[in-house]
Amino acid sequence: MDSILKFDNVSKIYSNGTQALKNVSFSVNEGEFISVIGPSGSGKSTILRSINKLIDISSGEIYFDGDTVSVQKGKNLRHMRRKIGMIFQNYNLVYSLSVLQNVLHGCLGYMNGISGVLGNYSEEDKKRALSLLQELGMKQFCYNRASDLSGGQKQRVGIARAIMQNPKLLLCDEPIASLDPSSAKTIMDLLKDMTHKRNIACIVNLHQLDAALKYSTRIIGLSKGTVIFDGAPSEMTDDVIESIYGTSRENLMMGGAENE
Amino acid sequence: MNKKIPVIAKNQKIVYTAFIIVAIILFVLTSLYTKFNIFTLLKNSDEFWSFIVNDFLPPALPKASSIGGVLSSVLVTLALAMASTTVAAILAFFVALFGSEKISPFPKLAKYVRAVATFLRNIPALVWAFILFSSLGIGTGVGFVALCITSFAFMVRAFVETMDDVSNDSVESLLTVGAGFPQRVAQAIVPSCLSGFLSWFLYCIEVNIRASTIVGMVGGGGVGLTLFSYIKGFQYDVALSIILLIALMIIVVDRITAMLRKELQK
Repeated sequence: MDSILKFDNVSKIYSNGTQALKNVSFSVNEGEFISVIGPSGSGKSTILRSINKLIDISSGEIYFDGDTVSVQKGKNLRHMRRKIGMIFQNYNLVYSLSVLQNVLHGCLGYMNGISGVLGNYSEEDKKRALSLLQELGMKQFCYNRASDLSGGQKQRVGIARAIMQNPKLLLCDEPIASLDPSSAKTIMDLLKDMTHKRNIACIVNLHQLDAALKYSTRIIGLSKGTVIFDGAPSEMTDDVIESIYGTSRENLMMGGAENE
Repeated sequence: MNKKIPVIAKNQKIVYTAFIIVAIILFVLTSLYTKFNIFTLLKNSDEFWSFIVNDFLPPALPKASSIGGVLSSVLVTLALAMASTTVAAILAFFVALFGSEKISPFPKLAKYVRAVATFLRNIPALVWAFILFSSLGIGTGVGFVALCITSFAFMVRAFVETMDDVSNDSVESLLTVGAGFPQRVAQAIVPSCLSGFLSWFLYCIEVNIRASTIVGMVGGGGVGLTLFSYIKGFQYDVALSIILLIALMIIVVDRITAMLRKELQK
């Protein structure tokens, strides 16, 4: 298995003095499904956003697919970003456009400037977008405005847009945090299934410990910007959970303490 | 026993009383400073009313031969407002892209773009008109430029705020697919902000219909200049009809733009 992403001693200090990441090192192989867990403010989002350079890191280095991330600029940066799909907590669709147009945004990185501006997508791209929507059970909505969809449907459009990029890596920033439990399960199932079929590595930020344990091939636990756990879900003991969240596992389950 | 129960908190009452006292003091001071006295106005009210009743009323139509000219001057005013707002809106759109930190490819310059726009906007169109008339002479062309400058500056600010409000999330997602700046503008900003842009544009047309009448009076042409020439010729009754015509024009335009803006918000 080849490593496609490598964090080498990465630190990030925001301009307001907050140290979001402290000497973080890990590497990601093709096809892995990694959950990053930790309390709010532990640096989960910073890790994800530094991979595609939405955030610049302060020290250390990130390598993606043979390139050094921090030196990428302009065209090279855009070419690197199109190999990294991203899925957001708030879906980040263009709500005034149709579902199909939103999915086709995934190929903008591969088009020349003018045809991207005009939205002249090729017929092959349109066919691929429609078949992706079909795979996600969304084909009948392809001409609906994105604003008319439910949360779970919006996230499926987000997944389609990201897969449309033919990415090698998928970054998911709290993909199910705004969803009800049943939609959340659908989305996690789809993410796992779609990335597994295409051998896309996937890094998911999660607040839901149970989802992390169920879906991941590997879990990274963060606390105050430091990696304090990196291993298989089966190695995740109650002690580890307590050191990540600063509280016992029972306290993390809502009403769990009373039930026992 | 007979003590009244206060209905508002005591400290609130103090604030209100202080506010009224300050307002009265300010009124007295400013009246003294400007030597404006409401009582002279009341004392001279007979003169005022006789002026209104004898000179203004009843409204009279201009000579039949000049009715066509008056109506076409109304059209000139409308055209001046429309054309200047449209040109200003197109320019403002491109400049506004560089005035928003989140969108501009040169975020460090964004605040300077906004500062220039704020500066231009805070000089009223009338002042621009005077400056330009002194340097370029009188004519609708200069009125056009004067209106363009202020509405351009206003729309830059309004467009930047529309973009900051609406499209941050979708712009971020297009950043991650590897889209370039023009693509992000065309595929995320324009679709999400278009109705906001149009709404501000229509509002600007409303403002500019009024402003173009005023700018016209000082030499920009159109119905403002026609009105001014009747006033200068002491034909106040004809002037009144033109004032009513201007009011009608503004009301009609306001109604239409208000309706369109409401439609856009749906």
